Amino acid sequence: MLDTEFMLYILPRVLKASLVTLEISFLSLLFSIILGLLFSLIALSSGKIINIIIRCFVEFTRGVPQLVQISIIYFALPYWGIYFNEFWTGVVALSFIGAGYTIEIFRNAVLTLDKGQQEAGKILGMNKYQILIYLLYPQIIKRSLPPITNELINVVKASALLSVISVNEITKIMNDVIFEYFVVIEVLLEATVMYLIIISVLISISRYFEKRLVV
Amino acid sequence: MAEVFPRLLPPLWVTIKVSFISLFLAFIIGLFFGSLNCISSKFNPINIITRFYVWIVLCTPIIIQIYAAYLLLPKVGIKLDVFWVGVIALTFNSAGYQIEISRASISSIDKGQYEASKTLGMNIFSSMIYIILPQAIKRMLPATANEASHLIKASSILSVIALLELHKAAINLQGNSFKFIELLVLQAMIYLPIVLCTSYIANILQKRNQSKSTKIDLIK
Repeated sequence: MLDTEFMLYILPRVLKASLVTLEISFLSLLFSIILGLLFSLIALSSGKIINIIIRCFVEFTRGVPQLVQISIIYFALPYWGIYFNEFWTGVVALSFIGAGYTIEIFRNAVLTLDKGQQEAGKILGMNKYQILIYLLYPQIIKRSLPPITNELINVVKASALLSVISVNEITKIMNDVIFEYFVVIEVLLEATVMYLIIISVLISISRYFEKRLVV
Repeated sequence: MAEVFPRLLPPLWVTIKVSFISLFLAFIIGLFFGSLNCISSKFNPINIITRFYVWIVLCTPIIIQIYAAYLLLPKVGIKLDVFWVGVIALTFNSAGYQIEISRASISSIDKGQYEASKTLGMNIFSSMIYIILPQAIKRMLPATANEASHLIKASSILSVIALLELHKAAINLQGNSFKFIELLVLQAMIYLPIVLCTSYIANILQKRNQSKSTKIDLIK
């Protein structure tokens, strides 16, 4: 029923593409964690106006479809004179989208900590940056691991959208192969199975973290 | 910007139509299979199939599901308008989430409710329809409103199968006018209030549910 020979024949291409998907997802997650840490620190330590600006950014990344954000970044980067190849444009787009979520994850994790921690830091003569960096942030790392792995799952799913700006990840390769050989079911099945494997593994990792690391 | 705005209104209507029709269908499917799931035992074939289905939906990106609907439906001999292909794809995606939502809210209803309806002589179906579901639907509403905003965002991906919704219309206008960024930002500014409104409604519903349940606790 299924043409298994053909499936084996295209398997190396799909595997290479899934490597690109993983690479792009991990890189964007890394950058969005860095951005999230930085901006949540700024949001927690500064006044109302900067908080409103960061809030607007978060609402923008959540309220606008990811596809639209990806196309905005795809067109806006060259407009500002920044020329990246598709891969790095994709990384920028996904980090931009992910940062909106990671900022909220870290900010909420700090806000759920006990108020006494801040007061203790104040008594020890720390200023607000020292309190945040030395006292509060080390405690939230454990707490934010489960939502961060969830965010990684979202990033992997969003990376499929990068096929519209022709990054060579699974969905793009799937499309290419379909229109090269006009074989639909086998190729779709293979791409779906790839995603199922990647995301199921990530989901079980996040469940593991949720069980083991809840403070 | 002002002169192209009217030309984006009919596609906006398509976006809203496609998302709400799929939301409605997915809500019904989710309610049906979610309650079946709660009634039947864990190793019932229906139960296993729905769990497998939910797993597939949650573990694949929506763009793959849209391509699958677009490419596989003609293979099976179903030839539909691209609008209805979009509805089917979004319903397929959303139903997975709706099954989970309804299953969670039905199983969050207190066990005493089942026992009370049993003592009144109701069988499992009538107690489901008259006692459990009215309460469960109230609890489902916030998550369903969130799902609506998720669907409005997801409907932009239907542009890859050439359904003329908001994003596709903006891409087409870009080709005519070469004003790339202006059109994309305008389009983002159209999406933003709609999505924010739906998530605001979800928040209000959530708060109302919470305050009600605390009131009940106080009376107890």
